[in-house]
Amino acid sequence: MSFWQATMKRSVKLSRTYFIMGVLMSVFGTATSNMYSIIPADLLNIEGTSIDLMNNMPLASVSFLSLSALMFSMPVMMLFVFDKNTGVLEYLLSTGFSQFDVYAGYVKASSSLAIILLTFSNVLNTAIGIYMGTDLGLLATIVVLTFAVGLSGVLLGTVSMMAFSSFQKTQLGANQPLGIAIGMVPVLPALFAAFIFPSYALVIIISIAVVTLLISLGLLLLSGRLIPREKLLP
Amino acid sequence: MQKLEISEISAGYGGKEVIHKIDLKIAEPAIYIVLGPNGAGKTTLFRTIGGILKPFSGRITLDNTDLFNSKEARKRIAYLSHLSALPEEMTVFNALKYYADMEGGDVEHSLELLSVSDLKDRKLSSLSQGQKKRVSIGKIFLSERELYILDEPTSNVDPKISKEIRDIIIKLSKDKFVLYSSHNLYEAREIGTYLILIKNGELKFFDKMENVKIKQYRVGIKALNDISNLLPESEFDNGYYVVTVDNPTAVAKIINDLVHSGAGLTEVRELDNPLQEFFEGE
Repeated sequence: MSFWQATMKRSVKLSRTYFIMGVLMSVFGTATSNMYSIIPADLLNIEGTSIDLMNNMPLASVSFLSLSALMFSMPVMMLFVFDKNTGVLEYLLSTGFSQFDVYAGYVKASSSLAIILLTFSNVLNTAIGIYMGTDLGLLATIVVLTFAVGLSGVLLGTVSMMAFSSFQKTQLGANQPLGIAIGMVPVLPALFAAFIFPSYALVIIISIAVVTLLISLGLLLLSGRLIPREKLLP
Repeated sequence: MQKLEISEISAGYGGKEVIHKIDLKIAEPAIYIVLGPNGAGKTTLFRTIGGILKPFSGRITLDNTDLFNSKEARKRIAYLSHLSALPEEMTVFNALKYYADMEGGDVEHSLELLSVSDLKDRKLSSLSQGQKKRVSIGKIFLSERELYILDEPTSNVDPKISKEIRDIIIKLSKDKFVLYSSHNLYEAREIGTYLILIKNGELKFFDKMENVKIKQYRVGIKALNDISNLLPESEFDNGYYVVTVDNPTAVAKIINDLVHSGAGLTEVRELDNPLQEFFEGE
Protein backbone atom coordinates (compact mmCIF):
# COMPACT_ATOMS: atom_id res chain seq x y z
CA MET A 1 0.00 0.00 0.00
CA SER A 2 1.42 3.37 -0.97
CA PHE A 3 1.76 6.30 1.41
CA TRP A 4 -1.27 8.19 0.08
CA GLN A 5 -3.46 5.09 0.19
CA ALA A 6 -2.40 4.41 3.77
CA THR A 7 -3.08 8.07 4.63
CA MET A 8 -6.54 7.84 3.13
CA LYS A 9 -7.30 4.67 5.07
CA ARG A 10 -6.00 6.20 8.31
CA SER A 11 -8.11 9.33 7.76
CA VAL A 12 -11.27 7.28 7.44
CA LYS A 13 -10.55 5.65 10.80
CA LEU A 14 -9.45 8.87 12.48
CA SER A 15 -12.84 10.57 12.67
CA ARG A 16 -16.08 9.12 11.40
CA THR A 17 -18.01 12.24 12.45
CA TYR A 18 -16.67 14.20 9.48
CA PHE A 19 -17.71 11.45 7.10
CA ILE A 20 -21.21 11.37 8.53
CA MET A 21 -21.37 15.18 8.25
CA GLY A 22 -20.12 14.94 4.66
CA VAL A 23 -22.80 12.41 3.72
CA LEU A 24 -25.50 14.46 5.47
CA MET A 25 -24.36 17.59 3.64
CA SER A 26 -24.55 15.78 0.30
CA VAL A 27 -28.10 14.63 1.17
CA PHE A 28 -28.95 18.24 2.03
CA GLY A 29 -27.40 19.38 -1.28
CA THR A 30 -29.46 16.82 -3.17
CA ALA A 31 -32.60 18.00 -1.40
CA THR A 32 -31.79 21.62 -2.25
CA SER A 33 -31.13 20.70 -5.84
CA ASN A 34 -34.50 19.00 -6.22
CA MET A 35 -36.56 21.07 -3.84
CA TYR A 36 -38.17 23.15 -6.61
CA SER A 37 -39.75 20.01 -8.04
CA ILE A 38 -42.00 19.68 -5.04
CA ILE A 39 -42.78 23.38 -4.65
CA PRO A 40 -45.85 24.56 -6.57
CA ALA A 41 -44.87 26.46 -9.71
CA ASP A 42 -46.78 29.61 -8.74
CA LEU A 43 -44.63 29.88 -5.60
CA LEU A 44 -41.40 29.51 -7.55
CA ASN A 45 -42.04 32.33 -10.00
CA ILE A 46 -43.13 35.16 -7.81
CA GLU A 47 -44.33 38.10 -9.83
CA GLY A 48 -42.10 41.14 -9.64
CA THR A 49 -38.94 39.32 -8.60
CA SER A 50 -36.00 38.64 -10.87
CA ILE A 51 -34.99 35.52 -8.97
CA ASP A 52 -35.67 32.38 -10.98
CA LEU A 53 -35.75 29.74 -8.27
CA MET A 54 -36.59 26.97 -10.70
CA ASN A 55 -33.26 27.25 -12.47
CA ASN A 56 -31.15 28.74 -9.69
CA MET A 57 -31.84 26.38 -6.82
CA PRO A 58 -30.13 23.43 -8.51
CA LEU A 59 -27.08 25.60 -9.22
CA ALA A 60 -26.98 26.79 -5.61
CA SER A 61 -26.93 23.16 -4.50
CA VAL A 62 -23.49 22.84 -6.12
CA SER A 63 -22.02 24.68 -3.14
CA PHE A 64 -23.58 22.24 -0.64
CA LEU A 65 -22.52 19.19 -2.63
CA SER A 66 -18.99 20.64 -2.88
CA LEU A 67 -18.92 21.49 0.80
CA SER A 68 -19.72 17.86 1.57
CA ALA A 69 -16.46 16.89 -0.20
CA LEU A 70 -14.52 19.41 1.90
CA MET A 71 -16.00 17.93 5.08
CA PHE A 72 -15.34 14.40 3.95
CA SER A 73 -11.66 15.11 3.37
CA MET A 74 -11.14 17.17 6.53
CA PRO A 75 -9.68 14.26 8.59
CA VAL A 76 -6.76 14.15 6.13
CA MET A 77 -5.96 17.73 7.05
CA MET A 78 -6.16 16.86 10.75
CA LEU A 79 -3.93 13.86 10.21
CA PHE A 80 -1.18 16.02 8.73
CA VAL A 81 -0.91 18.07 11.94
CA PHE A 82 -1.12 14.91 14.02
CA ASP A 83 1.69 13.23 12.04
CA LYS A 84 3.86 16.33 12.19
CA ASN A 85 3.56 16.52 15.98
CA THR A 86 4.21 12.83 16.62
CA GLY A 87 7.34 12.78 14.43
CA VAL A 88 5.88 10.58 11.67
CA LEU A 89 6.76 13.20 9.03
CA GLU A 90 10.30 13.47 10.40
CA TYR A 91 10.66 9.71 10.07
CA LEU A 92 9.30 9.77 6.50
CA LEU A 93 11.88 12.41 5.57
CA SER A 94 14.61 10.15 6.96
CA THR A 95 13.46 7.32 4.69
CA GLY A 96 14.00 9.43 1.58
CA PHE A 97 10.70 11.30 1.21
CA SER A 98 10.98 14.89 -0.05
CA GLN A 99 8.67 17.66 1.17
CA PHE A 100 6.80 17.33 -2.10
CA ASP A 101 6.34 13.57 -1.59
CA VAL A 102 4.83 14.24 1.84
CA TYR A 103 2.50 17.05 0.73
CA ALA A 104 1.50 15.18 -2.43
CA GLY A 105 0.61 12.11 -0.33
CA TYR A 106 -1.87 14.08 1.80
CA VAL A 107 -3.26 15.93 -1.22
CA LYS A 108 -3.83 12.65 -3.09
CA ALA A 109 -5.53 11.18 -0.01
CA SER A 110 -7.86 14.16 0.45
CA SER A 111 -8.63 14.39 -3.29
CA SER A 112 -9.42 10.67 -3.43
CA LEU A 113 -11.81 10.93 -0.50
CA ALA A 114 -13.40 13.99 -2.14
CA ILE A 115 -13.83 12.09 -5.42
CA ILE A 116 -15.49 9.19 -3.57
CA LEU A 117 -18.01 11.50 -1.91
CA LEU A 118 -18.57 13.63 -5.01
CA THR A 119 -19.32 10.47 -6.96
CA PHE A 120 -21.79 9.37 -4.28
CA SER A 121 -23.39 12.85 -4.14
CA ASN A 122 -23.76 13.09 -7.89
CA VAL A 123 -25.15 9.59 -8.31
CA LEU A 124 -27.68 10.36 -5.57
CA ASN A 125 -28.52 13.79 -6.97
CA THR A 126 -28.81 12.57 -10.57
CA ALA A 127 -30.96 9.57 -9.62
CA ILE A 128 -33.35 11.68 -7.58
CA GLY A 129 -33.27 14.44 -10.22
CA ILE A 130 -34.28 11.98 -12.96
CA TYR A 131 -37.05 10.61 -10.73
CA MET A 132 -38.31 14.15 -10.08
CA GLY A 133 -38.15 15.04 -13.76
CA THR A 134 -35.26 17.53 -13.59
CA ASP A 135 -33.79 18.62 -16.90
CA LEU A 136 -30.97 16.23 -17.85
CA GLY A 137 -28.80 19.08 -19.13
CA LEU A 138 -29.08 20.80 -15.75
CA LEU A 139 -28.18 17.57 -13.94
CA ALA A 140 -25.11 17.14 -16.16
CA THR A 141 -24.11 20.74 -15.45
CA ILE A 142 -24.38 20.08 -11.72
CA VAL A 143 -22.10 17.04 -12.06
CA VAL A 144 -19.40 19.07 -13.86
CA LEU A 145 -19.68 22.04 -11.51
CA THR A 146 -19.70 19.91 -8.37
CA PHE A 147 -16.54 18.08 -9.35
CA ALA A 148 -14.79 21.30 -10.43
CA VAL A 149 -15.76 23.31 -7.35
CA GLY A 150 -15.50 20.43 -4.86
CA LEU A 151 -12.07 19.26 -6.00
CA SER A 152 -10.64 22.77 -6.27
CA GLY A 153 -11.92 23.57 -2.76
CA VAL A 154 -10.44 20.39 -1.31
CA LEU A 155 -7.11 20.94 -3.08
CA LEU A 156 -6.83 24.56 -1.98
CA GLY A 157 -7.96 23.70 1.56
CA THR A 158 -5.48 20.84 1.92
CA VAL A 159 -2.52 22.76 0.49
CA SER A 160 -3.29 25.92 2.51
CA MET A 161 -3.85 24.02 5.72
CA MET A 162 -0.56 22.16 5.35
CA ALA A 163 1.25 25.40 4.57
CA PHE A 164 -0.27 27.23 7.56
CA SER A 165 0.40 24.31 9.89
CA SER A 166 3.98 24.01 8.65
CA PHE A 167 4.77 27.66 9.15
CA GLN A 168 3.23 28.14 12.55
CA LYS A 169 5.65 28.21 15.43
CA THR A 170 3.56 26.44 18.06
CA GLN A 171 3.03 22.70 17.81
CA LEU A 172 -0.72 22.46 18.09
CA GLY A 173 -1.67 23.16 14.50
CA ALA A 174 -4.08 25.89 15.61
CA ASN A 175 -3.82 27.58 12.22
CA GLN A 176 -5.40 24.56 10.59
CA PRO A 177 -8.90 26.13 10.42
CA LEU A 178 -7.46 28.98 8.33
CA GLY A 179 -6.66 26.50 5.58
CA ILE A 180 -10.13 25.02 5.80
CA ALA A 181 -11.68 28.51 5.60
CA ILE A 182 -9.58 29.20 2.50
CA GLY A 183 -10.89 25.96 1.02
CA MET A 184 -14.33 27.60 1.13
CA VAL A 185 -13.20 30.29 -1.36
CA PRO A 186 -14.35 28.50 -4.53
CA VAL A 187 -17.42 27.05 -2.77
CA LEU A 188 -19.09 30.31 -1.70
CA PRO A 189 -19.39 31.88 -5.18
CA ALA A 190 -21.29 28.77 -6.24
CA LEU A 191 -23.87 29.56 -3.57
CA PHE A 192 -24.45 33.20 -4.52
CA ALA A 193 -23.53 33.53 -8.20
CA ALA A 194 -26.72 31.89 -9.42
CA PHE A 195 -28.84 34.45 -7.57
CA ILE A 196 -26.71 37.58 -8.06
CA PHE A 197 -25.45 37.05 -11.62
CA PRO A 198 -27.85 34.46 -13.05
CA SER A 199 -26.71 34.98 -16.66
CA TYR A 200 -23.02 34.53 -15.86
CA ALA A 201 -23.25 32.10 -12.98
CA LEU A 202 -21.86 29.15 -14.90
CA VAL A 203 -18.88 31.08 -16.23
CA ILE A 204 -18.14 32.64 -12.84
CA ILE A 205 -18.30 29.33 -10.96
CA ILE A 206 -16.20 27.42 -13.49
CA SER A 207 -13.64 30.23 -13.79
CA ILE A 208 -13.13 30.49 -10.02
CA ALA A 209 -12.84 26.70 -9.75
CA VAL A 210 -10.26 26.47 -12.56
CA VAL A 211 -8.18 29.38 -11.19
CA THR A 212 -8.31 27.83 -7.70
CA LEU A 213 -7.30 24.46 -9.08
CA LEU A 214 -4.32 25.96 -10.94
CA ILE A 215 -3.19 28.00 -7.92
CA SER A 216 -3.43 24.92 -5.67
CA LEU A 217 -1.47 22.73 -8.07
CA GLY A 218 1.12 25.50 -8.49
CA LEU A 219 1.52 25.81 -4.73
CA LEU A 220 1.81 22.05 -4.39
CA LEU A 221 4.47 21.79 -7.08
CA LEU A 222 6.42 24.65 -5.48
CA SER A 223 6.03 23.27 -1.94
CA GLY A 224 9.54 21.79 -2.01
CA ARG A 225 11.00 25.24 -2.61
CA LEU A 226 8.57 27.35 -0.62
CA ILE A 227 8.52 25.25 2.55
CA PRO A 228 11.85 24.11 4.05
CA ARG A 229 12.16 20.52 5.28
CA GLU A 230 12.54 21.64 8.88
CA LYS A 231 8.94 22.91 8.81
CA LEU A 232 7.78 19.31 8.82
CA LEU A 233 9.61 18.53 12.06
CA PRO A 234 7.82 18.38 15.41
CA MET B 1 29.05 -0.04 4.63
CA GLN B 2 32.70 0.86 4.73
CA LYS B 3 32.81 4.51 5.57
CA LEU B 4 30.65 7.43 6.72
CA GLU B 5 32.38 10.68 6.00
CA ILE B 6 31.10 13.95 7.38
CA SER B 7 33.01 16.82 5.84
CA GLU B 8 32.76 20.36 7.21
CA ILE B 9 29.04 20.05 7.87
CA SER B 10 27.11 23.13 8.99
CA ALA B 11 23.36 22.88 9.49
CA GLY B 12 20.48 24.35 11.44
CA TYR B 13 16.97 25.71 11.21
CA GLY B 14 15.53 28.74 9.41
CA GLY B 15 18.95 29.95 8.34
CA LYS B 16 20.27 29.86 11.93
CA GLU B 17 23.34 27.64 12.12
CA VAL B 18 23.28 25.15 14.99
CA ILE B 19 26.22 22.88 14.12
CA HIS B 20 29.37 24.39 12.72
CA LYS B 21 31.80 22.71 10.33
CA ILE B 22 31.76 19.27 11.88
CA ASP B 23 34.27 16.83 10.47
CA LEU B 24 34.01 13.11 11.23
CA LYS B 25 35.17 9.93 9.58
CA ILE B 26 33.64 6.69 10.75
CA ALA B 27 35.09 3.54 9.32
CA GLU B 28 34.78 0.86 11.97
CA PRO B 29 31.55 -0.94 12.94
CA ALA B 30 31.00 0.08 16.57
CA ILE B 31 28.83 2.14 18.89
CA TYR B 32 29.70 5.83 18.63
CA ILE B 33 28.32 7.62 21.66
CA VAL B 34 27.38 11.21 20.95
CA LEU B 35 27.41 13.31 24.09
CA GLY B 36 26.80 16.95 24.80
CA PRO B 37 24.73 19.23 26.98
CA ASN B 38 21.14 20.09 26.00
CA GLY B 39 21.12 22.37 22.96
CA ALA B 40 24.63 21.34 21.94
CA GLY B 41 23.45 20.24 18.50
CA LYS B 42 23.28 16.44 18.85
CA THR B 43 19.79 16.10 17.39
CA THR B 44 20.63 18.57 14.60
CA LEU B 45 23.72 16.50 13.76
CA PHE B 46 21.63 13.30 13.75
CA ARG B 47 18.93 14.89 11.60
CA THR B 48 21.56 16.07 9.13
CA ILE B 49 23.25 12.67 8.91
CA GLY B 50 19.80 11.07 8.64
CA GLY B 51 19.01 13.18 5.57
CA ILE B 52 16.19 15.03 7.32
CA LEU B 53 17.87 18.43 7.32
CA LYS B 54 19.67 19.72 4.29
CA PRO B 55 23.12 20.94 5.33
CA PHE B 56 23.91 24.64 4.82
CA SER B 57 27.38 23.64 3.71
CA GLY B 58 29.62 20.59 3.67
CA ARG B 59 28.91 17.06 2.54
CA ILE B 60 28.00 13.71 4.06
CA THR B 61 28.90 10.61 2.12
CA LEU B 62 28.21 6.97 2.69
CA ASP B 63 30.82 4.95 0.82
CA ASN B 64 31.45 8.03 -1.32
CA THR B 65 27.74 8.46 -2.21
CA ASP B 66 26.23 11.81 -1.26
CA LEU B 67 23.73 10.97 1.43
CA PHE B 68 21.31 13.84 1.01
CA ASN B 69 20.85 13.43 -2.72
CA SER B 70 20.71 9.64 -2.92
CA LYS B 71 17.51 7.84 -1.95
CA GLU B 72 19.37 4.54 -2.29
CA ALA B 73 21.98 5.62 0.25
CA ARG B 74 19.22 6.77 2.62
CA LYS B 75 17.69 3.29 2.54
CA ARG B 76 20.87 2.05 4.19
CA ILE B 77 20.22 4.23 7.24
CA ALA B 78 17.82 3.76 10.14
CA TYR B 79 16.86 6.85 12.11
CA LEU B 80 15.24 6.80 15.53
CA SER B 81 14.15 10.16 16.94
CA HIS B 82 13.39 10.76 20.59
CA LEU B 83 9.69 10.87 19.67
CA SER B 84 7.76 7.69 18.94
CA ALA B 85 7.00 8.62 15.29
CA LEU B 86 4.14 6.13 15.25
CA PRO B 87 0.59 6.49 13.93
CA GLU B 88 -1.01 6.40 17.36
CA GLU B 89 -4.51 5.51 16.22
CA MET B 90 -3.24 2.14 14.95
CA THR B 91 -2.55 -1.14 16.65
CA VAL B 92 1.08 -2.11 17.26
CA PHE B 93 1.03 -4.60 14.36
CA ASN B 94 -0.62 -2.19 11.93
CA ALA B 95 1.74 0.65 12.89
CA LEU B 96 4.76 -1.49 12.04
CA LYS B 97 3.03 -2.77 8.91
CA TYR B 98 2.38 0.85 7.90
CA TYR B 99 6.15 1.37 7.70
CA ALA B 100 6.86 -2.11 6.35
CA ASP B 101 4.48 -1.45 3.44
CA MET B 102 6.47 1.64 2.50
CA GLU B 103 10.00 0.47 3.23
CA GLY B 104 9.74 -3.29 3.21
CA GLY B 105 10.60 -5.51 6.14
CA ASP B 106 9.35 -8.20 8.47
CA VAL B 107 6.86 -7.08 11.12
CA GLU B 108 6.89 -10.37 13.03
CA HIS B 109 10.69 -10.25 13.30
CA SER B 110 10.57 -6.76 14.85
CA LEU B 111 7.79 -7.75 17.24
CA GLU B 112 9.82 -10.70 18.48
CA LEU B 113 13.12 -8.85 18.64
CA LEU B 114 11.66 -6.11 20.85
CA SER B 115 9.50 -8.57 22.85
CA VAL B 116 6.27 -6.83 21.92
CA SER B 117 4.47 -9.73 20.23
CA ASP B 118 1.98 -9.85 23.10
CA LEU B 119 1.08 -6.21 22.42
CA LYS B 120 0.53 -6.57 18.70
CA ASP B 121 -3.26 -6.15 18.81
CA ARG B 122 -3.18 -3.29 21.32
CA LYS B 123 -3.73 0.28 20.15
CA LEU B 124 -0.63 2.43 20.46
CA SER B 125 -2.63 5.10 22.28
CA SER B 126 -3.29 2.59 25.07
CA LEU B 127 0.38 1.73 25.65
CA SER B 128 2.74 3.12 28.27
CA GLN B 129 5.63 5.36 27.22
CA GLY B 130 8.06 2.48 27.65
CA GLN B 131 5.99 0.11 25.54
CA LYS B 132 5.65 2.75 22.82
CA LYS B 133 9.39 3.26 22.86
CA ARG B 134 9.93 -0.44 22.22
CA VAL B 135 7.51 -0.42 19.30
CA SER B 136 9.16 2.72 17.99
CA ILE B 137 12.54 0.98 18.10
CA GLY B 138 10.91 -2.00 16.42
CA LYS B 139 10.28 0.04 13.28
CA ILE B 140 14.00 0.59 12.66
CA PHE B 141 14.59 -3.16 12.80
CA LEU B 142 11.98 -3.98 10.18
CA SER B 143 14.74 -4.40 7.65
CA GLU B 144 18.49 -4.59 7.93
CA ARG B 145 20.42 -1.33 7.62
CA GLU B 146 24.06 -0.45 7.80
CA LEU B 147 24.04 2.76 9.81
CA TYR B 148 21.76 3.20 12.82
CA ILE B 149 21.20 6.72 14.16
CA LEU B 150 19.63 6.42 17.58
CA ASP B 151 18.59 9.54 19.49
CA GLU B 152 18.16 8.55 23.14
CA PRO B 153 16.83 5.04 22.47
CA THR B 154 16.56 4.10 26.13
CA SER B 155 14.83 7.21 27.45
CA ASN B 156 11.44 6.52 29.09
CA VAL B 157 12.02 2.79 29.47
CA ASP B 158 12.50 0.82 32.66
CA PRO B 159 15.96 -0.59 33.53
CA LYS B 160 15.07 -4.13 32.40
CA ILE B 161 13.88 -3.05 28.95
CA SER B 162 16.70 -0.55 28.76
CA LYS B 163 19.19 -3.39 29.22
CA GLU B 164 17.41 -5.51 26.60
CA ILE B 165 17.60 -2.64 24.11
CA ARG B 166 21.28 -2.06 24.90
CA ASP B 167 21.98 -5.77 24.38
CA ILE B 168 20.33 -5.67 20.95
CA ILE B 169 22.36 -2.62 20.00
CA ILE B 170 25.63 -4.09 21.27
CA LYS B 171 24.99 -7.21 19.20
CA LEU B 172 24.11 -5.04 16.24
CA SER B 173 27.32 -3.01 16.50
CA LYS B 174 29.49 -6.03 15.74
CA ASP B 175 29.01 -5.46 12.04
CA LYS B 176 26.96 -2.24 11.89
CA PHE B 177 27.66 1.41 12.57
CA VAL B 178 25.67 2.86 15.45
CA LEU B 179 25.48 6.54 16.36
CA TYR B 180 23.92 6.71 19.79
CA SER B 181 23.04 9.73 21.91
CA SER B 182 22.24 9.41 25.58
CA HIS B 183 22.10 11.46 28.73
CA ASN B 184 22.88 8.39 30.78
CA LEU B 185 26.64 8.61 31.30
CA TYR B 186 26.93 5.16 32.82
CA GLU B 187 25.15 3.66 29.83
CA ALA B 188 27.42 5.67 27.53
CA ARG B 189 30.54 4.27 29.17
CA GLU B 190 29.14 0.76 29.30
CA ILE B 191 28.34 0.37 25.63
CA GLY B 192 30.35 3.01 23.79
CA THR B 193 33.45 2.14 21.79
CA TYR B 194 33.97 5.70 20.61
CA LEU B 195 33.01 9.02 22.12
CA ILE B 196 31.92 12.02 20.07
CA LEU B 197 31.54 15.17 22.13
CA ILE B 198 29.53 18.09 20.77
CA LYS B 199 29.41 21.45 22.52
CA ASN B 200 27.91 24.67 21.17
CA GLY B 201 27.48 23.01 17.81
CA GLU B 202 31.17 22.17 17.48
CA LEU B 203 32.99 18.88 17.62
CA LYS B 204 35.11 18.96 20.78
CA PHE B 205 36.29 15.39 21.03
CA PHE B 206 36.30 12.24 18.93
CA ASP B 207 38.32 9.25 20.05
CA LYS B 208 38.03 5.80 21.57
CA MET B 209 36.26 5.73 24.92
CA GLU B 210 39.37 4.22 26.51
CA ASN B 211 41.34 7.30 25.51
CA VAL B 212 39.07 9.64 27.40
CA LYS B 213 41.35 11.44 29.84
CA ILE B 214 39.82 13.02 32.87
CA LYS B 215 41.09 15.46 35.48
CA GLN B 216 40.34 13.44 38.61
CA TYR B 217 38.92 10.17 39.90
CA ARG B 218 36.81 10.08 43.08
CA VAL B 219 36.65 6.64 44.60
CA GLY B 220 34.53 5.59 47.57
CA ILE B 221 35.82 2.74 49.75
CA LYS B 222 33.98 0.77 52.43
CA ALA B 223 35.90 -1.47 54.82
CA LEU B 224 35.33 -3.48 57.97
CA ASN B 225 38.13 -1.59 59.77
CA ASP B 226 39.11 2.05 60.05
CA ILE B 227 41.36 2.62 57.05
CA SER B 228 41.77 6.40 57.26
CA ASN B 229 45.39 6.05 58.35
CA LEU B 230 46.10 3.79 55.35
CA LEU B 231 44.87 6.30 52.77
CA PRO B 232 46.84 9.27 51.39
CA GLU B 233 44.23 12.03 51.81
CA SER B 234 40.65 11.10 52.38
CA GLU B 235 37.34 12.27 53.77
CA PHE B 236 34.53 10.21 55.25
CA ASP B 237 31.22 10.76 53.49
CA ASN B 238 28.02 8.71 53.66
CA GLY B 239 29.78 5.61 54.92
CA TYR B 240 32.57 5.81 52.36
CA TYR B 241 36.20 6.80 52.69
CA VAL B 242 36.50 9.09 49.70
CA VAL B 243 39.83 9.38 47.91
CA THR B 244 40.52 11.78 45.05
CA VAL B 245 43.40 11.00 42.71
CA ASP B 246 44.40 12.21 39.25
CA ASN B 247 44.91 8.92 37.41
CA PRO B 248 43.56 5.37 37.37
CA THR B 249 46.99 3.89 38.22
CA ALA B 250 46.86 5.67 41.58
CA VAL B 251 43.47 4.07 42.26
CA ALA B 252 44.92 0.61 41.52
CA LYS B 253 47.86 1.20 43.84
CA ILE B 254 45.63 2.33 46.74
CA ILE B 255 43.38 -0.72 46.40
CA ASN B 256 46.39 -3.02 46.16
CA ASP B 257 47.94 -1.52 49.31
CA LEU B 258 44.66 -1.82 51.22
CA VAL B 259 44.23 -5.47 50.26
CA HIS B 260 47.77 -6.30 51.35
CA SER B 261 47.35 -4.48 54.66
CA GLY B 262 44.31 -6.59 55.52
CA ALA B 263 41.87 -3.65 55.62
CA GLY B 264 38.84 -5.89 55.06
CA LEU B 265 37.43 -4.10 52.00
CA THR B 266 33.72 -4.57 51.43
CA GLU B 267 33.09 -2.17 48.57
CA VAL B 268 35.00 0.03 46.15
CA ARG B 269 33.07 2.30 43.81
CA GLU B 270 33.61 5.15 41.42
CA LEU B 271 31.71 8.12 42.81
CA ASP B 272 31.75 10.35 39.75
CA ASN B 273 31.33 9.32 36.16
CA PRO B 274 34.38 10.48 34.22
CA LEU B 275 32.12 11.68 31.42
CA GLN B 276 30.42 14.05 33.86
CA GLU B 277 32.97 16.77 33.27
CA PHE B 278 31.97 16.99 29.61
CA PHE B 279 28.65 18.41 30.73
CA GLU B 280 30.23 21.02 32.96
CA GLY B 281 31.09 24.56 31.82
CA GLU B 282 33.87 25.08 29.34
